[in-house]
Amino acid sequence: MKIRYQRWWLGLALLLIVLPLGACARTQAASRTQIVFWHEMTGPGQDQLKQFAKEFNASQDKYQVVPQYEGSYNEAVQKILHTHGTSASPAVFQSMDVSTSQLYHAHVATPMQKFIDKDNFDVNQISPVARAFYSQGGKQISMPFNTSQPVLYYNASVLKRLGIKAPPVDPSYSDITRVAKAISTKSHGKIKGLTVEEYGWLFEQFMANSDEHLANHEDGRTGIPTKVHLNTPGTQEAMKWVKSNIKSGDFIDYGAGGQAESNEIAAFLAGKLGIFIQSSAYISQLLAGTKDQLGITYYPHRNGKPANGVAIGGASLWIGNDKPKDVQQGAWKFVQFVMSAKAQAQWQAATGYLALNKDSQAQPILQKLYQKYPAAQVPSQQLARIKANTANSGVFMEGVIQERNLTQTAMAQIYNGTPIDKALAIAEKGLNDAVANTNRANHYK
Amino acid sequence: MLESLPKHTNPEEPSKELVPVGLNSATEWRKDRLYVALFLGPSLLILSVFVFWPMLKTMYLSLFLTDNFGHASVFVGFSNYLNLFKNPAYLSSLGATFVYVIAVSILTIILGMVLAVVAQQHLKGIRFFRTLFSSTMGISVSVAAIFWLFAFNPSVGVFAQISQALHLPEINWLADPHFALLAIIMTTVWMNLGFTFLILFGALQQLPSSLFEAAEIAGVSKTAQFFKISLPLISPTLFFVLIVTLIEAFKSFGLIDLMTVGGPNNATNLLVYRVYQDAFLNGNYGLASTESVILTAIIAAITLIQFKLLGKRVSY
Amino acid sequence: MEMNRPVTSETNHGNLKRWGQYALLLVLTVIVLGPFLLGLWTSVMPTAEISKGALWSTHISLDNYITAITTTPILRYLLNSLVISTVTMLFQVLLCSMSAYAFVFLKFRYRKQLFMVFLITMMLPFEAEVIPNFSTVRNMGLLNHYAAMIIPFLTAAFGTFMLRQTFMQMPVELKEAADIEGLSHWQFYSQLAVPYAKISLMTLAAYSFLSSWNQYLWPMLTTFSDNFRPVQDGLRQLQGQESFNNWGMIQASAAIVVIPTLIILFIGQHYFKAGLNEGAVK
Repeated sequence: MKIRYQRWWLGLALLLIVLPLGACARTQAASRTQIVFWHEMTGPGQDQLKQFAKEFNASQDKYQVVPQYEGSYNEAVQKILHTHGTSASPAVFQSMDVSTSQLYHAHVATPMQKFIDKDNFDVNQISPVARAFYSQGGKQISMPFNTSQPVLYYNASVLKRLGIKAPPVDPSYSDITRVAKAISTKSHGKIKGLTVEEYGWLFEQFMANSDEHLANHEDGRTGIPTKVHLNTPGTQEAMKWVKSNIKSGDFIDYGAGGQAESNEIAAFLAGKLGIFIQSSAYISQLLAGTKDQLGITYYPHRNGKPANGVAIGGASLWIGNDKPKDVQQGAWKFVQFVMSAKAQAQWQAATGYLALNKDSQAQPILQKLYQKYPAAQVPSQQLARIKANTANSGVFMEGVIQERNLTQTAMAQIYNGTPIDKALAIAEKGLNDAVANTNRANHYK
Repeated sequence: MLESLPKHTNPEEPSKELVPVGLNSATEWRKDRLYVALFLGPSLLILSVFVFWPMLKTMYLSLFLTDNFGHASVFVGFSNYLNLFKNPAYLSSLGATFVYVIAVSILTIILGMVLAVVAQQHLKGIRFFRTLFSSTMGISVSVAAIFWLFAFNPSVGVFAQISQALHLPEINWLADPHFALLAIIMTTVWMNLGFTFLILFGALQQLPSSLFEAAEIAGVSKTAQFFKISLPLISPTLFFVLIVTLIEAFKSFGLIDLMTVGGPNNATNLLVYRVYQDAFLNGNYGLASTESVILTAIIAAITLIQFKLLGKRVSY
Repeated sequence: MEMNRPVTSETNHGNLKRWGQYALLLVLTVIVLGPFLLGLWTSVMPTAEISKGALWSTHISLDNYITAITTTPILRYLLNSLVISTVTMLFQVLLCSMSAYAFVFLKFRYRKQLFMVFLITMMLPFEAEVIPNFSTVRNMGLLNHYAAMIIPFLTAAFGTFMLRQTFMQMPVELKEAADIEGLSHWQFYSQLAVPYAKISLMTLAAYSFLSSWNQYLWPMLTTFSDNFRPVQDGLRQLQGQESFNNWGMIQASAAIVVIPTLIILFIGQHYFKAGLNEGAVK
């Protein structure tokens, strides 16, 4: 008996030593410098990023880029802040548009301008609108990478089949209501007319397109915001528009979050949903997923008022300042690689994010795409006609994730019957409190 | 050798009597102290570092605003607490959590009991059914979420298809604030069933059959036998199941994260999810710490009740 | 374990009743297994047909399983979970039995108070302590490593409590005899106490393995790469990165995860049942 139990302990000790070691051994790569790359891309975007990493790794033998998916944009920000300075932190990371202010103030990255200057990288090949979004004081903080436009998608085949006139390319809210109602009525309720995801980003776009600032100091471009407005004529009208569609029964609510997006896309592809508003980043997936003809228009605007234009959405690439020089250098090489004309063209064709390199449009892969699907050009046309102002250049403010949660909740409340005024007022107060706390906690005033 | 050990007759006997004599000399004491360090030290260290210290730290942080890196920066006293109890969104989370916890506990116990009673029947192949009934015990939170997400899917899910076929109004389970919590409750109850069934079934099995034979002879109906004999006798087990289910329900996180991310309209934003959201999404660590302290207070209160009742059976 | 209750005499009525009972059992089984069977069924269907709302398909295949295994790190997730859960389980059994032993067989000042301290930890939910614990493992340099998911769970108050109950039932004569023979505490612990508590130790092992296996929030916060991500968060990852649902593949991944646990559960059910009831009734 004694011997038996001694063996038992021995086994235990062995297990403890062997198991973790075996697992670690696999993670050690060969002699190349590891460049851990955090991103938040799903579906085709993720596949294309993996492809980029593969191509980059094959193109040289010094660095090994390892892409790692870190969940949603919202999750990634805190992960970046809290791993900074530890072995778990990434060398290069993708972070969303509205986190720019927070990451900039947290000093977790080496300014992109430093690498640009050192290598005399020609930034003029990159879209100036996109560059401006991620600059401060004329210096590039991070590299714009995936830039999308929110657009309106409709199933053109369904419209044709039901004999409904397609919406104009720059539609107003009532243009869309007309089409949505017709879809619902003529299909006898079999096809739902419209959905607008409960999503703070879309809420911000309603404001931008109505020429309204969400935060004071011109959306934070001229100073740290101290006050926010969510209950405005523009948001009121947008919400009233949604409600009128809910009332007439042609609207379907898929809720919020990744699930909602998956579900609305699945329904659209299955021909059970006529119209939805979403990022242009889904174009390639939508084109590939259905035989029906895809229709795309600009973001809808207020009735009787011209569109101010929507902000670019998406994310940029940052290089962490907590890694050794050669790692940062490798990260920079990778950034240059994905910003090339060829890579950006591939990127747009694979996803629907706009190619940011000016020379990308001439690339055969995009030329072919436009020939086959003229609608695929709509997002870049929408971007091209925008006259940039502070209302449509995105919000430069900390705590935008809270804003997204709050507006998303307000949308959910409104969709489910809470009066518009009340829901928006609650969100506005919540966000003002949060902004005051953030400024106080970080000693911004 | 084990089998030949004399069984201890009275487990309730105080432990003092189990302590051997002969610990009086100084050397024995010193030796024992070494053993105390060896036997108790590691556990004590782990619990101090990962249970006690963080609780103190959480309480401390709950009195502060925190900066971008989560460090305490401005002392605000109890204003985080006051703000929370004035915040309608938090109050609705609290309300939703209580509804969820109570519904889950009651439904789990009733359904678990139905399964346990049915599984008592003396039938051919009943063992097979008992195994099937306990099977959800092996289903973890992510797996359950994936199965049920599909069932609740508004376009292709079973529920949607059934209501379409029967021309019933379609319910968008996870996006409708009136139904999302119910959907999460259903999923949780389903996950809990296996464990609850096993325990209740075991308790019913251990009841002496002579009682029921006597009742049968006295002409007591099966229903009356259940309510008058079985139920009172297994009430300690029922209580145990209730407490465990309650506490686990208060700590629910995974299903929410996978199925509704706290929405729609905060309908499923239960306490733990809110802590996660405020800390690890919004970066508001002071507020999240306050919410953690409130959560702890609730769970501690329930555990205390459990100890009180256990205390009657267990000697210290 | 079979019931000893008398069964009413066999009649036609009895036969009918029995069929009724089977019908009831069947209905309950469908309710309990429904979501699982549905998942299993969709895992062998082509995704294209699932997203059209088909519940029946003639194109049944294991393609989704092959896709899951070849294109996702699902097996790696399983390995990670296996490592984390096994190590956690072994340590919990060891450390809990040692501290339980100390509370029963060692004499020291403040023993009762210290035991109370252990009990108090059962009142403090780990979920409410993730913020400081995150800082702790961060400062220890354990982020994104198995250790971050193992070290905080090396011991458990519940396990100590349960094993203490078992040790207290050991006959006094045994300890007396051991003292006369001059056995040290370590010898008594390893040669007599541990074998005596075998069933309780097995129960604790099963319990701690399962709770480690089911951990969700903590690994989600502390792992950042597939090399260390356990299976619960791995599934979250797979589910999240499909931007439009590849239902078949996701369901197949879920099935791959659940089938091993179910097999273990069915094999170990006897022990588990005995142990759980022991813990519950006491």
